[in-house]
Amino acid sequence: MPDPNVYNDRVVTVLVVLSLVWAIAGMGAGVFIAAELVWPTIDLGQEWLSYGRLRTLHTNGVIFGFGVSALMATAFYSVQRTSHVPLFAPKLAWFCCIAWNLAVLLGGISLLAGWTSGKEYAELEWPFDIGITIVWLAFAVVFFGTIANRKVKAIYVSNWFYGALIIVIAMLHVVNSMAIPITIGKSYSLFAGAQDAIVQWWYGHNAVGFLLTGGFLGMLYYFLPKHADRPIWSYRLSIVAFWAFTYSYIWAGPHHLHYNAIPEWVQSLGMVMSIILLAPSWATMVNGVMTVAGAWEKLKTDPALKFIVLALAFYGLATFEGPMLSIKSVNVVSHFTDWTVGHVHSGALGWNAMITFGTFYFLVPRLVGAALYSVRLANIHFWLALAGTMLYVLSMWGAGVSQGLLWLSLDELGELSYGFRDIMASMTPYYALRFVAGAIFLSGAILMFYNFVKTMENRTTVVRRIPDVTTARSAVEAVA
Amino acid sequence: MSVLGLHRKLEENAGLLIFGILFVSAIGGLVQVLPSVFQDELVAPTTETKPYGALELLGRDIYIREGCSTCHSQQVRPLLAEVKRYGPFSRAGESAYDRPFLWGSKRTGPDLHRVGAKYSDAWQRIHLIDPRSVVPKSIMPAYPWLAEKEADPRNTIQTRMKRLRLLGHPYTDDEISNAPDLVSGKTELDAVVAYLAVLGEAAGSGEGMAH
Amino acid sequence: MTFVPIDVLVQGGQLFARLEQATASASVVVFKDILPLALIPPIFLYLGSLQFGWQIGAEDVIRLNQATLLMISVCYFLALLLGFIGLAILLRWMAPTYAATLEMSRHLTLVATVATPMVVGSIAHLYPHVFVNMLAIIPVLIWSMFLLYRGLPIVLRTTPQQGMLMASSLIGIVLVAAVTLLGITVVLWTHGFGPSLGL
Repeated sequence: MPDPNVYNDRVVTVLVVLSLVWAIAGMGAGVFIAAELVWPTIDLGQEWLSYGRLRTLHTNGVIFGFGVSALMATAFYSVQRTSHVPLFAPKLAWFCCIAWNLAVLLGGISLLAGWTSGKEYAELEWPFDIGITIVWLAFAVVFFGTIANRKVKAIYVSNWFYGALIIVIAMLHVVNSMAIPITIGKSYSLFAGAQDAIVQWWYGHNAVGFLLTGGFLGMLYYFLPKHADRPIWSYRLSIVAFWAFTYSYIWAGPHHLHYNAIPEWVQSLGMVMSIILLAPSWATMVNGVMTVAGAWEKLKTDPALKFIVLALAFYGLATFEGPMLSIKSVNVVSHFTDWTVGHVHSGALGWNAMITFGTFYFLVPRLVGAALYSVRLANIHFWLALAGTMLYVLSMWGAGVSQGLLWLSLDELGELSYGFRDIMASMTPYYALRFVAGAIFLSGAILMFYNFVKTMENRTTVVRRIPDVTTARSAVEAVA
Repeated sequence: MSVLGLHRKLEENAGLLIFGILFVSAIGGLVQVLPSVFQDELVAPTTETKPYGALELLGRDIYIREGCSTCHSQQVRPLLAEVKRYGPFSRAGESAYDRPFLWGSKRTGPDLHRVGAKYSDAWQRIHLIDPRSVVPKSIMPAYPWLAEKEADPRNTIQTRMKRLRLLGHPYTDDEISNAPDLVSGKTELDAVVAYLAVLGEAAGSGEGMAH
Repeated sequence: MTFVPIDVLVQGGQLFARLEQATASASVVVFKDILPLALIPPIFLYLGSLQFGWQIGAEDVIRLNQATLLMISVCYFLALLLGFIGLAILLRWMAPTYAATLEMSRHLTLVATVATPMVVGSIAHLYPHVFVNMLAIIPVLIWSMFLLYRGLPIVLRTTPQQGMLMASSLIGIVLVAAVTLLGITVVLWTHGFGPSLGL
């Protein structure tokens, strides 16, 4: 029988470790496929090393392995502390941890074997779709059960974001994965053609929205005030930004289908809502920046904070670049190019990975009861992460703008100026730089893993007792 | 009661908060996505669009398995340069029998929606097995295993077609009963090449979506 | 009289101690540090392009005539000069938020410090092949970022904590500005200015 006065942190620790393993595996796959675009024969003619299969392993590994494990870990950690109760149904929490990671592992193997639905970021086939739906329900039960048990009256803002993550992703996943099975590893989508496209990008864009943006904002809203030891700068702004974000994000999907064969009004609406989305996105950024700017005396310049602050900068870039790329007269050039890839990675590396690294540097010493093994290594990691992200973004801007321009260029006679093959061949320098950038970023993650392994060698038993029932009405006060 | 006060109700009641999130996030989907799902014109096939033949269907499923759509789009946008480069722009009805759609989001390689008319089957075979033998600077992976594998070793073609018929693809009983004969003895390479060859067949004139 | 670019290259550990002591006025910093820094890359570009021509990819070399080349180089110089001074103005604008100094000369000095590795890297322009220039970016960018985070609190006289926040904000703002410029360029293209596109 678990002690009702102690936080349940073991499952958090395991999830953090698994998340890091996925980070290295997923980013490793990414670096490898980046190399394949420079030296196409390094797949050695092996099916499972082929770009088309490894690319899905890369995206699934980093989003669902690294990202979701990190979100589960931090959600479980913070929901207990903002509710002043241990996890509801701790066994179910362990089920989430193990079953989720098993699903990603087996799912990854199935992707290498060629099982794929062919829908981006939803490639896992129907048996996995059913499996992860069950795990997700368990996640919801643990999370909302803990909230229901809470001893703090108000539900803290980080929990709204984690809650939105759980609810909206469930809705998107169930609808978009609807399919009719053929064999164990093959199904046909219930939607066809243009309808499938609209449903897929409603899913695809909002998986980015509510998982990679919203979920990680939950992380930000808990760990940043915690680190700065003061409440969030504007509580009112966080309310407005949360609801504006939840309402407007869901409309933006069709900007992935500009000039494609879907109705004009759907595209235009998608564009307008994408631009509106900048407001709540930046409102949250301002809230974060002002929280740290006002509390600087309390900050030590430790690596954890550096990562979180830099994550905010890249969050600002990615949430500005996104609406900009959704403008049709920009999109007409950027669509189908590497600019999109660069945009995704300024978010994925600069925002998601950085904020997770920062959070982990904060979290791991607390979870294992030992000081970080090496602050120096963590500082080196910071430089590698910063350089890797900058180089990645620069290389893809170069590649993307060149592709967009050269593909559409006409000569004086009104004929195409360049052949596709020549344009493709001219991408090699950019692809090579991207490979180096990715390798630099990955080496930082490996350094962090080593740092944590050494930290854990000194671990002590930590028992985090739950404070006596707080008198604070608001969880904002409870956090600080 | 002030707005902030109203919000307090949400903050202090988990059920209300869950409902609020679900409601607010569903609006976009209900207004923007749901109508499209019930708009039949979006998936009304153009007059030239036919369901894939047995071998082509298998080829398409292999195309999906190998992740070809991660680097090749199948969506010619209605832009002068694209029409010059690839051919007539893509119309919604042409994808009526595409489950899933394969319009793609990235062109590391060229668009393939009109590729059928561009290359011979013989060229496609060589190119798939060893891309750099015909396009020296190509960065496409080689797919040597396609030539070694049977297209439908487990006799799934009839299941595939029957399930698609359930979803509204107009396969006749004859087409389904003849399917195993059409694919027996064929390799995966035969299937993919057959699929690539029909890409663009529906590109002729016809009523599509005007942009 | 000391030169910031030279100091960055030869001073090593004492660099920031020296910069801390710097007393030159803003206009002096512009003339002795910023101006030469903005001149060097365009000169390299001009010489390299004249000698070898631009190689965008594996394909044919693009050779521009001397007049066009000269014009591009002058534009490049002006862009760098305005960019450097603009950055210094941006830093000064941000300074009160992070309790940094308001002395313009120090903001210019920081810009010169951070720009020096990049300018050194522009030696790759002498052989204007995208590949070579891409490779040059890697060490140079890391060096510049290092100088920015290390140097900002010292040169701008603020605490390390606030310096770190300010440096990160600067990176955010510069990236957003860069992508805005890209966006504006693309919109100009799609509206008929510049290259002819088949839209």
